[in-house]
Amino acid sequence: MSTNQPSTVLTSRQQIAVVVVAAAVVGAVLAPSVYASTNDPDDTVAVVEIEGPVNTALADDVESELADIRANGSVGAVVLKIDTPGGAPVASERMYKAVQRTSEQMTVIASVQSISASGGYYAMAPADEIYVLPTSTVGSIGLNARAPQTTSPVQGPSGPDKAGSNEIQSWAKQQTLADTFIDAMMAERGDEFRMPREEVAKANVYLGTEAVQNGFADEIGSLNEAIHAAATAESLGEYRVDTRETGPDTGFPILLRTDTQVVAVHANDPGYGDVEPMGLTYVHLEAVPHVDTVERFSESDLDADRGGSPAGATGNDTARLSGGVDA
Amino acid sequence: MSQLRTLAAVFVVTVAAITGGAALTGYATADGAAPAPEIQNDHYLDEDLVANGTPGQATVEMEAATRSQTVLVDPGVEPQGAAPVSPLALLGLGSPSVADRDIRPLANALIQNGHDVGVYVPDPDQQRRPAAPGGEQGPTQLGERLAGADAFVTFRTDYDEAQLDEIESFVDSGGHVIVATEPGAAFDQPGAAALDATLGVTTEPGYVYNMEENDLNYQRVYAEPAGDSDAALTEGVDRAVLPSATPVGTTDAGSDVLRPIEGSELSTTRASAEAPLLVRSDGVVMVGDSDFLSPENAARADNDALIGNLADFLVTNDRTPPGPGGQQAPTGPTGPTGPDQPPAEPSENETAG
Repeated sequence: MSTNQPSTVLTSRQQIAVVVVAAAVVGAVLAPSVYASTNDPDDTVAVVEIEGPVNTALADDVESELADIRANGSVGAVVLKIDTPGGAPVASERMYKAVQRTSEQMTVIASVQSISASGGYYAMAPADEIYVLPTSTVGSIGLNARAPQTTSPVQGPSGPDKAGSNEIQSWAKQQTLADTFIDAMMAERGDEFRMPREEVAKANVYLGTEAVQNGFADEIGSLNEAIHAAATAESLGEYRVDTRETGPDTGFPILLRTDTQVVAVHANDPGYGDVEPMGLTYVHLEAVPHVDTVERFSESDLDADRGGSPAGATGNDTARLSGGVDA
Repeated sequence: MSQLRTLAAVFVVTVAAITGGAALTGYATADGAAPAPEIQNDHYLDEDLVANGTPGQATVEMEAATRSQTVLVDPGVEPQGAAPVSPLALLGLGSPSVADRDIRPLANALIQNGHDVGVYVPDPDQQRRPAAPGGEQGPTQLGERLAGADAFVTFRTDYDEAQLDEIESFVDSGGHVIVATEPGAAFDQPGAAALDATLGVTTEPGYVYNMEENDLNYQRVYAEPAGDSDAALTEGVDRAVLPSATPVGTTDAGSDVLRPIEGSELSTTRASAEAPLLVRSDGVVMVGDSDFLSPENAARADNDALIGNLADFLVTNDRTPPGPGGQQAPTGPTGPTGPDQPPAEPSENETAG
């Protein structure tokens, strides 16, 4: 080997240097993501969608998403995108507890779309702020129930309350269910409500414009404004939005009411397993269509003339209803 | 070969040092997982939260010591098999009838004190029989039953003109009448105004509720004796529970017996409800509720005392019905009668229930 010729072979030192440089480049590429995964900067606003009737499946999802958000350090604030007329009491309470827990840890802002009433209002009440649109509907703090009826005695069950109950005891139970809800709302927003408990307990609903005046909501604003407010409250600066859908994505269940109660329907052509009686509900009844109305509009031979004879249509639909659910 | 190993080792060590350093730095500077916040929801633990569902007890007692009286009850039963009088009945909106158990506390008190209780159930065959044109109109089925009664309790309002005349004659002859209506009656019963006019009583549309103080539901309102109320009807009654009450009134002054307690409001006006819920005008008592007579509700507040007082009111009347053979029916109407006016029937209905 001649020393005059430029060597094309690197010395071992040079080789090591090249390798080190290459490794440094690789490391530099990896470092940010490694750093991020261990450091978790608070740079995300999570939007949790709570839409449709409040039921177990929805509560499952909301609980799980909010638990994930609380454990995920990259989420700095939460916005609840909410649009529900309410539903089952226990599912409402579960979401309430999950929102309450999350609100202890970070800013939670509820952004009401068209409606957040009854059980929906229950769920979002622990939020730091409630944003509504001018024509959103909020309120309906109370229990929906039938008057307890004394029924004919039933023989067979092991105890008097197994199949049937005392009318007065049932009234007491319903009142307790209502008071549980109302007390929770007074605890959460009693300072904001500009009306006494008795007025809240009337279970009225309010449009957004009125709600920001009487304390049922805090601000008029859209979802984007709620997201920005949440990010600002947590000083996130640059943030990204992570939308998390909850509940079944099939469009079901839908809530319908009969003359006597509210039912959740889980399929378009429901069989016996697809209709779930709801009994006592935290629901805003006016937002739940009557089964007669739905059936009338889903008739295949619907024509304009039938709409003009409500008596006939009612008779027909009542007969269909009393015959049970079309399988 | 060893050179290659050295290079590989150097590569691994360098990458590991950089990424490890980054990981360590991130870990060291990360906020530790926050402990689960302690949340106390005291509003769920309030001892007063659980409403008291103890049903209570009722003791209905009568004080009046009169000879055996006959009390006729019209529970509002449509004649079975008959064509419904009202087109509303076709829609299932006929007058809501009162079941036997619903008035048991009152009926039992009367029976235990030796009085007769009759229940008026129209006979569809008679109901359908048309009156002979130009023929003399006799008493209606109701008129026949009223003729043998001393007192009358009714839960319906849709009487025809002939029946209204008979009821009016019954009252004029000293018979005592209790009319128990409901807030919903104005929605599904035609003709309430005609009965009210006959008896000189009034009702207001809507129901009374109380958000501040009630018996387990805002519509189950408490009523208390009005200041100058009839002492006989309010004896032993500090408060009564009326589960769904509509305001009532009379044309007479000083007729108020029970008024809703303070804080009560009327559903239609959302304003303070001060109109009475139970009034008495001579021989007529009008009460804006019928549910308070049921066994469950008789056990609430002083409803049992109120029911006993009403039983006394029924039997302390000035009426002396004719004997079984007497045909002293209430004076028949002179004007046109309803199409369902039955002809005079010689048969007599038993008044004992």
